[in-house]
Amino acid sequence: MSESFLRVSRGLAAVRLAARGGARYAANAPRLFARAGEQRQALRDDLALRTAQDVADTLGTMKGVLMKIGQLASYVDDGLAPPARRVLGRLQDSVPPMSPELAAGVIEAELGGAPETVFAEWDPQPIAAASIGQVHRAITRDGRAVAVKVQYPGIAETIAADLGNVGLLRSLLRMAVPAQDVTELIDELRERVGEELDYRREAENQRLFAAYFDGHPTITVPKVVDELSTGRVITSELATGARYAEMLDWSQEEKDLAAETIYRFTFRSLYELHAFNGDPHPGNYLFEPGGQVTFLDFGLVKHFTAAEIAPLVTMVETLCIEGDTDAFRRAMEDAGFLEPGAPIGTDQVVDHMALFYDSIKVSAPRTMTGAYASSVARRYVDFKSPLAAYAKIPRSYVILQRINLGLFAILGEMNATANWRAVSEEIWPFVAAPPSTDMGEAEAGWHAAACAAR
Amino acid sequence: MTAEVFPGGGLFQRGASAFAASVPADPADDGFFGPGSVTWRLHADLSAPVSGLRSLLLQALHPLAMAGVDQHSQWRDDPAARFASTAAYVLTTTYGDRAAAQAAADRVRKIHQWVRGTDPVTGRDYAADDPELLIWVHAGQVDSGLAAARLYGADFSDADRDGYVAEMTAAAELVGVPPRRTPASVAELDAYFTAVRPELTLSPGAADTAQYLTRMPAIEPELTDIWQVIAAAAVASLPDFARELYGWQDAIAPGRTEVRQVLGVLDAIYLGEPGVLEGRQRLEVRMRAAESAR
Repeated sequence: MSESFLRVSRGLAAVRLAARGGARYAANAPRLFARAGEQRQALRDDLALRTAQDVADTLGTMKGVLMKIGQLASYVDDGLAPPARRVLGRLQDSVPPMSPELAAGVIEAELGGAPETVFAEWDPQPIAAASIGQVHRAITRDGRAVAVKVQYPGIAETIAADLGNVGLLRSLLRMAVPAQDVTELIDELRERVGEELDYRREAENQRLFAAYFDGHPTITVPKVVDELSTGRVITSELATGARYAEMLDWSQEEKDLAAETIYRFTFRSLYELHAFNGDPHPGNYLFEPGGQVTFLDFGLVKHFTAAEIAPLVTMVETLCIEGDTDAFRRAMEDAGFLEPGAPIGTDQVVDHMALFYDSIKVSAPRTMTGAYASSVARRYVDFKSPLAAYAKIPRSYVILQRINLGLFAILGEMNATANWRAVSEEIWPFVAAPPSTDMGEAEAGWHAAACAAR
Repeated sequence: MTAEVFPGGGLFQRGASAFAASVPADPADDGFFGPGSVTWRLHADLSAPVSGLRSLLLQALHPLAMAGVDQHSQWRDDPAARFASTAAYVLTTTYGDRAAAQAAADRVRKIHQWVRGTDPVTGRDYAADDPELLIWVHAGQVDSGLAAARLYGADFSDADRDGYVAEMTAAAELVGVPPRRTPASVAELDAYFTAVRPELTLSPGAADTAQYLTRMPAIEPELTDIWQVIAAAAVASLPDFARELYGWQDAIAPGRTEVRQVLGVLDAIYLGEPGVLEGRQRLEVRMRAAESAR
């Protein structure tokens, strides 16, 4: 097949795909390879990863692990050391896309045929970078427009081997997040990254969220196409919508609605699914007017046991509803946040913790701000407070810092206003208040059905 | 790394700026080796830091070479700068165009004219532009490139290894070795080391230098743990005779995977320095173009 024919057919496929939707997604995709302009794009094409050896050279020898540390550290600490941040940023820039042939090879190995035969249409140019793979658009043989996430070949083995060097991980984390307890972080990192390498688990999580929110008026989770998904490939419905940065220019009213959807998604997931999408990254959301939000990327989902959720529920209930500070303290101790019998007054404990509940303290409209988000984030890892000697973040809750750093940071940046307390009361299982907003009314039917199905 | 983290600028920061400055953005020609050479690939290999340290450890064992360094260089005053300028020399002669490589070589040859004296250990006179000493330093560098790559680097075939030794004779000639005197194959290189072996000794200067290099106080403090692995790898990769002279026969060799992981971290840190990624990409594009032209 001649070079020029390939180029033309590639162009045609892109046009047809655009007609089916997803063009906007492509145009605004996060960390797009083309972000620094045409020339850079050309350079990166010249540097495309052509073989599994190229992948190992680029992402092996700890580099893939370093990128994962960066991703995790950016959530668990607001003070990633600046040189470390720069190194990690450059490292991400240094990873070129797979060549069309290499990506096609993964499809062939995983799905049993060349992309052009497995799919009716296949766009050989990736539309977005995923941390250990890239996303291609395609149309299935039964006519569905889909996004196909393709993992770099050999990356799972490479990263798994590198995660075994705990001594080196320890030195690296000490450099990256000097203020953190690195032992808990290493465990968390190894577990989360290990999970992320297996796309089957990600697909399973995406299915769980998609099924739960199926029929929701404003929340969309793209459905996984099971027969085209494996350990290294996830095919799901192609989502459309505006990128986060674009949405920030919308009216405040629209932003408030989008924020309410994100808030409902987060806490419905936590309290009802006992699951938390640990990657509340702006790049993982697509927006449409009217509060419509599509949630992408379920690679970092944390599942909580009922026993892990219970103390969190009790803490909210005792502090925010009953005002029983002794019971609140006991719940903190039960969860392992506070050493039992610590020689410190309960009022001091409450003082320290109240900040986390500040946005839901009273039932009234409240505007989230960036300043609030960062004060919450800082307090979560505050080693100077009088509580510090007796407080710790148990490993299962390390990921909840992402609510602070991800969710609140985003809502703060959106300057979102809502009566968060009233929305929370709808969601809190011990209150289960009737709808407090139009969106609450609209989701009532979905929620009744979801509860019945549970 | 930023100044507040690495005050004074450590070994890696200086090394990175040396790299960025040595890879031309707009070269007039492909220089003395070219993007299709083994030399380009091997000098860009992940194992390069091990090779660099091994070179210095090996080269220090020739008492006349050591005396020349000890009596004429103030490298201990600012070791990071001295290492960076050595790295810049190798990188410029490797990746620079012919004019840049020639200019760098001319500068070194000019300095060498003044480096003469008497070695206190052997009582022999020395001159830095003596071809025998130039060949020694050259052979130490070439042998170290091969040894470090074999243990910790990418795959290089036997033909590649011979090709590298042959290509690198151009570097020896640049710095003043008369044509056809430099080992031009792996076999000739090995024969050279056998022949030169009686000249070598652990002088006090060499012992002192080796101790300094393996501890490396000039490195960024955050990287000292990591340097220990590099140092152990460099020691393990030395030829037996060199380890015996240093008294390191029993040194434990770190595993290939561990060393490569550490080298990968160093490489990532290196990439974080300004200009390094761009320089790498320029070289990679040229190497790929040369590959597909073949």
